[in-house]
Parts: sequence; structure tokens; C-alpha cells
Amino acid sequence: MATYASSAPEQTGIWSWITTVDHKRIGTMYLFTALFFFLFGGLEAGLIRLQLAQPNQAIISAEMYNQLFTMHGTTMVFLAVMPLSAAFFNYLIPLQIGARDVAFPRLNAFSYWVYLLGAVFITFPIFFHVAPNGGWFGYAPLTTNQFSPGANIDFWVMGLQILGISSLAAAFNFITTIINMRAPGMTLMRMPMFTWMSFVVQFLLILAFPAITIALVFLLFDRFFGTSFYDIAKGADPLLWQHLFWVFGHPEVYILILPAFGLVSEILPTFSKKALFGYNVMVYSGIMIGFLGFGVWAHHMFAVGMGAVADTLFSMATMLIAIPTGVKIFNWIATLWGGQIRFVAAMKFAIGLVGLFTIGGISGVMHSSPPADLQQTDTYFVVAHFHYVLFGGSMMGIFGGIYFYFPKMFGRYMDEALGTWHFWLTFIAMNLTFFPMHFSGLLGMPRRIYTYDAGQGWEKFNLASSLGTLLLTIATAIFVINFLKSRKGGLPAPQDAWGAATLEWSIPSPPPEYNFARIPIVTSRSPLWDIKHPEMSSGAAHADADPVQVASANAVPMREETEHHTAAELGIPMPLNTVKPLLTALGIVIMFSGLMFIHLDHFALAMAVSLSGAALLIGSLYAWLFSPLE
Amino acid sequence: MPGKYLRRLPTALVVAVAALALAACGDQYPNSTFTHLTDLNTATDALWNRLLLFGTVVFVFVEVLLLVTIFKFRQRPGSPAPKQVHGNAVLEITWTAIPALILVMIAIPTVKTIFKTQAKAATGSLQVEVIGHQWWWEFRYPELGVTTANELYIPAGRTVNFALKTKDVLHSFWTPNLGGKRDLISNKTNYLWYTPNADIADQVFNGFCTEYCGSSHANMRFHVYTVSEGDFGKWVDHQKTAALGSPVAATPVMAASMPGMPGMAGMKHDAKGAAAPASNTASNMAADSGYVFPLNKIPAHAIPSTPLPTGEREVKFDDTLLPNGNAVAGRELITSMANLGKAPCLTCHIVKGEMTMMGLTDDAASGPNLTHFGTRHTLAGGIYASDAKILARWLKNARMMKPGSIMPTLGTGELDPQSGKKLAAGLDDRQIADIVAYLMTLK
Repeated sequence: MATYASSAPEQTGIWSWITTVDHKRIGTMYLFTALFFFLFGGLEAGLIRLQLAQPNQAIISAEMYNQLFTMHGTTMVFLAVMPLSAAFFNYLIPLQIGARDVAFPRLNAFSYWVYLLGAVFITFPIFFHVAPNGGWFGYAPLTTNQFSPGANIDFWVMGLQILGISSLAAAFNFITTIINMRAPGMTLMRMPMFTWMSFVVQFLLILAFPAITIALVFLLFDRFFGTSFYDIAKGADPLLWQHLFWVFGHPEVYILILPAFGLVSEILPTFSKKALFGYNVMVYSGIMIGFLGFGVWAHHMFAVGMGAVADTLFSMATMLIAIPTGVKIFNWIATLWGGQIRFVAAMKFAIGLVGLFTIGGISGVMHSSPPADLQQTDTYFVVAHFHYVLFGGSMMGIFGGIYFYFPKMFGRYMDEALGTWHFWLTFIAMNLTFFPMHFSGLLGMPRRIYTYDAGQGWEKFNLASSLGTLLLTIATAIFVINFLKSRKGGLPAPQDAWGAATLEWSIPSPPPEYNFARIPIVTSRSPLWDIKHPEMSSGAAHADADPVQVASANAVPMREETEHHTAAELGIPMPLNTVKPLLTALGIVIMFSGLMFIHLDHFALAMAVSLSGAALLIGSLYAWLFSPLE
Repeated sequence: MPGKYLRRLPTALVVAVAALALAACGDQYPNSTFTHLTDLNTATDALWNRLLLFGTVVFVFVEVLLLVTIFKFRQRPGSPAPKQVHGNAVLEITWTAIPALILVMIAIPTVKTIFKTQAKAATGSLQVEVIGHQWWWEFRYPELGVTTANELYIPAGRTVNFALKTKDVLHSFWTPNLGGKRDLISNKTNYLWYTPNADIADQVFNGFCTEYCGSSHANMRFHVYTVSEGDFGKWVDHQKTAALGSPVAATPVMAASMPGMPGMAGMKHDAKGAAAPASNTASNMAADSGYVFPLNKIPAHAIPSTPLPTGEREVKFDDTLLPNGNAVAGRELITSMANLGKAPCLTCHIVKGEMTMMGLTDDAASGPNLTHFGTRHTLAGGIYASDAKILARWLKNARMMKPGSIMPTLGTGELDPQSGKKLAAGLDDRQIADIVAYLMTLK
């Protein structure tokens, strides 16, 4: 084991964070921001469960409840889970592929700032009781001016457009990074599984987001400029929105879950001391899930009356997805089989994902059958299903990832005892919250209702769900305490904190700004095990790197890096800090915000604000493009 | 002997599961989807049982395998270094093929059931148009000339074919006991049919809107009464008549109970209206309302128990006025053009037989048809029991009683929560009591 290797950031102060283009700092900012919104979304869920703890309660008004469930979904999907994944993309992808940064560091900063400003834009209206209230799915025609004349939906439409810009910019950046910046010898089939799953997710993002962008542009034009894409009085077909939304919405599910699958595929081998079982099949199944994910959207629409043939086709396609997903589960178990399992907190969460996601997968197959689904859709059974997928799957994986990568990010371990409490309380609480929803749903309870009558047979299930949420709040509080406390007070971690196999563990924790003093040559899937635990990488395919590539990258054979030098000492050119990405992001958000005044009949003001936003956008973009990177 | 107990364990488990399943069918879970009360739900439940069986098998297999693995291979001091395995083609093909086989076994009955349940309804089935409104249900029987709201009567044993439409946003029609849901889509008609078993006459089933449709989505409920063919016929015969007390339906009953009603004597009797037997005693009123699902047969779970709003949403009403409400005055209030500003009821509601504003038709009416309001057991989208005290508050300030309600605030001085303004000139409590009395006579 190497000695503690920490390289303190060379820059400090708030300005250095605002102007940073370092993928690790941006990843850290994503992590903190997304955790904040995770807590905020959890608070919204807490209020929802408070209202539903008993029948016929009036703790929260109907209007507020509708805003809360809309924002709970929107927050968790767009402001918490996606950006938590983005935190890992940012922090890890360059480290895992042996690169010094992402392909476009300033674009990366821009993605973060757009996310932050978009998140604020879509969240702050709830404090003024004008938060979006059309559901996270925003079905037309309810979201048209005719039925939702207030500003609520405007915030939603424009907020999502803004957030989409962030996701798309980031996706192009990571695809370019992964394709072009891998260390010599790191072929695609030697990439760590997290990078692989992230790679798949970036393609899902660039293919799925245009669909919702189109849907939102139509709605935005309907609401602001008098078009009638969704105007039922003029004969619009509301299913247009549903198809466009779910062509995005279903791949979105895989956008939320595949990064967690990737994290778990890093954690399970490390703590079993065994290579991932069936690497190739894991890659192919991930690609397969992503591919099939585009052909199943209408299973969200079995109740809309598409006809027997369409129902059959989408049902069959949906069932097909269960196959690659099942393969992943079995390959993970096979990875554990024969290993030496260490039950650290990260591992507990990773195993928790395997166990809990399975439940969500099984209930998923249950509503892939349309006649059965018609008794399940829009009931609490579906709420149970996707919380097993998104909490039992995505969040368990992300928690595991945080415990696992915390030592890399901050040079210190998170507290294991608190981590164990966090895991077991979360595990119990999440089952207590979500398992009873299977029953309340199949026993007739619809979703999205702010109240329900007494004597319907739902009381005890709802009470259990609400108590579970209370427990979940306590578990999350323990996590937050652990996270904040361990940053400065945790046990110091060596750079290879867990005995893992991949490149990111070969450099100091936290890594220096340039990541790798020398670009390593990669000759297998487990480069660090090759040099530290050759017995564990035996049997895996090895091949030399392409000599031309090695020479051009000035790379050296794989080794652990423990020395501390500044980039200047090593002669590594680093991108310059700049505030221009933030200003560009600000310009976009101001430009969109201006439109809000149109609905208040301040056309001149709207134009003034929008045009000044556009001016800021164009000006800072111009300055950005004409200032050198390094 | 432990072996003896072990052998009994499976039996005990089966009994426990069966007991749970039985409990799920009982009164404790009145909205269960696991019923076999219609052909549709019998087919769905058969499919569900197969899904549950395979789901349980996979669940138990995976979770047990996972638990055994992590227990068996937990790190112990001195355990040998793990043998590195990078994959196993045979194993991986196996666990691709077995789930695929299971899915085929689910897919076959799925496809069969899709085509069976989505076929066209049999000819001769009862046609019912279901029209969704924010936030109430309109039910029309186009062949029978009946329009009602929030309470659906269907004959047990006959196939009923629902044509599902919406007047505004999307809704979804769901009666969990009777079968799967179907959405109401703007500019489109969807269909759903099922046949309630012949032996389930005289039962009530709760229905819900299951597509989020705005503020009062939670308050868009309905009730389905399954009745015998005979009772259904009687119900239809009465429901298609004009309203009691209306010019076309005026009968001696009304003359007796509403002395002094202007213009009553010379009214011609509509052929249908005259079908109701003439009587001049109040005790015969029940006979005049044809068949109404008897209140004493409605189980507690089908009687709404939504509490009256309290706190800042409370609607205060002087209940002592209700027993003295004057139905004649109430009728005058809502039918006279002079009172249109105060009680504009007939601009949105139809009371068959009464003059409506601008010849309102069912298609144009934005509120529920009130012709036989007095025969209904619920009001306001099925969330309140029909009761004079509740109705009075509903009329006074519906928007406090049901968030987002399109029914306007009518009581003088009442705060309209949607505009944030107090109503300057509306109805006083006495006038509301009169309208309540009138509406309650609309048997």
C-alpha cells in the first residue's frame, strides 16, 4: 500500500470554483448540488407522505400537493439522479480512461452552470406557490394555456429546456472524451464497466433529449405564441405529446439506471477480489438495454387505446428488455460467487442494488403484459415498481458509488459504522415505504391523488409507507452527517483505497489537477491488479498497446504515481480558468426568463430581458471562443 | 422431532398464503383488482396469477441465490485467494435462455388476452357513453335517452360497452373490482366492455379517475350499481322522464307539494312525464322516483365520507333554515331569468322539462344533468354523500368544497378561492335552503 498521497488543490477560494474548468472540481460541484436537490426532492416526498399518512387529511392543499408531486418527480429525475450520475461521469471518466481532462473542459463547466441555473429556475417557484403542477410527464392538453393558464407550467417548460441543454452539451463532451482520449492500449473492450455504461448513457441522452425538446418547443410555442399543436379545440391529438414524451421518457429510465449499474460493476469485483464475470456480456447487455430502450416507449400508454396490434408489439419489446437485464443480475451474482466478500458500506449498497432492483425488474415484467397492466397503470403498484428501480436501483448504486469513490475525491474514508447504519436503515425504510405500495395499488388506489377516502382498504399500507419515509429521512440524515464529517475528519485513505483494479486508483487522492503525471500504457482490463495483484488478473486477455499510439502520447508503462508535483513543474499545459462558461449559461437562462413576462402582459419588458440575455449569451460565447484554452 | 415440523412447513405456508388471499377478497379490501366479477377481470386475473407465479419463482430464486452467495463467500481469515473466472459461455447462455422461456410462457397468454379483451363488444350489448369532465363523470345511455352523473347503473349479466370520451383534459375510467382501466382521450373515442356476472345484482363498486387531470383529480370518483334487469328497466323508465315539477312533467304531486306554482294548472302532460302515476301523498313520492338503488344495500365503503372542509376553507351555513326550505321558491330562483345573475344554474345544468338558457343540450352543458338529482346518493363527483347540509354548502361555495371546481361560488359575501375576491351579490342562506329543497325533490 502506498502512503497517503494527497495533493491539495492548488487554487482555493470561491472564485477558483466559479471559474474552474477542472473535471474533478466540476464533478464535485455536481455532487454537492445534486445531493442538495436530492434532499430537497426528499423533503417534497416527505410532505406528500405526511398528507397521505391518513385518509381525508387536509395538511396540504390540493394545489400544493399537485405542485409537490410534480416537483418531486422533476427534481429527482432531472435535478438529483441525473446530476448525481453526471458527478461520477465528470469525476471518473477521465480518471478511468487515463486522460488529463475531458475533451472540452470549458463546455463541461458550461454544462454544470446551465444545470445549476436551470435547477434554480425550476425550483424557486415552489416558494411562491407557483411551481409546475402538471406532473413530471406534463401531459397535454392539461398543460396547455386553456387548462393551465398560470405561470406554473411555463417554469416547467422552460426549466426543462434549459436542463436539456446541459445534458446534451455534457453528452457530446463525454462521447468525444471516451472516443478520443483513452490512454494508449485502452481499447474499448478494456474500458472499466462504469465508463462503458456511461458511454451508452451519453448516446441515450443525445438520442432521447431531442424528442422531449421537440415536445417542449411545441408546448412552448402553444403557450407563448399561439400555435395549436396541442389545442384540442382545433382538433389536436393529445397522443402526440405522449409519444414524444415517452420516446424520451423511457430511455430516460435507462439514463437513470445504467450509471448505477456501472458503479456496481466496479464495486462488486473490488470487494469480492474477483474480476467482473462475463465482461463482454455485461457490455453487450448494457448496449442491448440502451438499444431496446428506444423501442418500448408506448408501454407507458397501454391504457390510451392504441389497439391490439400496437399493444402486442410494445408488450413483446418490453419483455425482451428483461433478458439483458436478467443477464446483468446473474453476472453480478456470478462475480460474487467464489470471491472473498468484504462487507464495507459501498459493497452493502451494491449488493442492495442487486437484490432490490430485481424486485423492480419483476414488477416491470408484470406490467409489460397489457391486460394486467390495465389494472396496474396509474396506481400505486407502478409507484412501487419504479421506486424499486430508481431508489432500489439508481440510488443504492449511487450511494455505493459515493462510499466507494469518496476516498478518491477527498483523500479520506467515510465512516464505516455510520455507513452501516445508513445502509440498514435505508434498506429497511425503503422496503417499508415502497413494498406496501404494491398492495395499495393492486387494491385499487390511484396515483397522484392528494387525498383518499376512509374505509377503502388502503389505510394501513399508506401509514406503513409514511412511517417508512420517516425512517428514510433519518437514514439520509445519517448519510449527510457522515458525508460532511468525513470530508475533513474521516480516516485518511491511501491512494488505492480499496485494492481496486482500475487506473483512477493508481494516482494520488485527491488526484492532482493534471490527474496523470505520465499517461499510462494499458495492457489489460485490470491495469492496477496487473502490477499489484498479478494473481487476480491472471487468465485475462493481455495484449500490448499500439506502439504508434504509445509513442505519440509519450506514455510510460503502467505504475502507481505517488510523487507530488505541480503541473508547471511537470510541464503539463492546463486549461485556464474562465468565467465565460458561467456567463454564457447565465445568458441562456436570462433569455428564457424574459419570456415569462409575456404572460404578465409586459411585452416590452419581456423583449428587453430576453434580448439582454441573448446579448450576454452571444457576447460571452464570442469571448469564450476567441480566448485560448491554455 | 424437527423433521415432522419441517414436513408440515409447506402446508402451513400454503394455508397462510391462502388465508391472505382470501382476506384480500373480503370486505377489508373493497377495491381489490383480484375479483372475478366480470369476464374482463376474470381473464385479467388469470394472467396476473401467471405473472405472480413466475415473478415469485424468479424472486425467490434470485434472492436466495444472492443470499447464499454472499453468505458462503464472505471473507474469512485464512480463506484462499479467489479463483479468477472471467466468464462461462454455457452458464451465460443458460441464464439468457431460461428467462426467455419464462417470457414466452407469459407472452402467449398475454397476446391471447389482448385480442380477446380488445375485440369489438358483442352486438346487443348495452351502450353507455362515459364523458369525462373536470372533475365529474357524465354517463349517457344513448339508446335509452338517459343522462346521469357520477352514478352508473348497469344490469348484471348483460355486456356493457363503454364509449369513452372527454370534454376537456385526459381522464381514465377505472372500476378496480370490475376490470382494467381505459383512458379518455380528447378528440378520440375509446372503448371498453365487460359483462358483470349475472349473480352480482344489487352491488356497488367504487370507480376512480386514474389519469391526472388537474386540481381535483383525487375528487373525481363515481359509483357503479349493478342491478337486476327488471330493476334496470324500472330505473330507465323513470330516469328518462322530465323533472318533477317542470312544466312538462307537472303532476298533482307537485301541485300538492308546491302550492301556488304559477301556471301549473294549464300545463300539458308530456307523454313520458304522464307515465309516472299521479298521486297526491308525500308517501308515494318514492314510488314516483321509479327504481333507485336502495341506500340500505350500499356498503360503508361506497358511501363517501369526505369531511366538510375546515379552517380557512370552511363554508358556514345556517342549517336551521334547511327544514323550512321552499321548493317552489327554489325552483323559481333557478328558472327565472330575473335571477340569472344570482343563481345561473341553468346556464350550465340541464333540468329536463325546464326552460334552459339558450336551449342548452347535453353536449353543451358544462355541469351535470340535474333532472333526477334527488335519486342520486352522492354529489360533487362522488366525493360527498347526498345530504341537504352538504348540498347547501356546496351551493354556497363549491370552490371551497372541491379545489379548482368550475361550479362558481354563489353565496353572498363568500370568498372565491380562485379569483381571491368576495362575491358581492349572490344568494343568501334562505335562498340556498330553497334551492336545496327544490333539488331534493327532483326524484
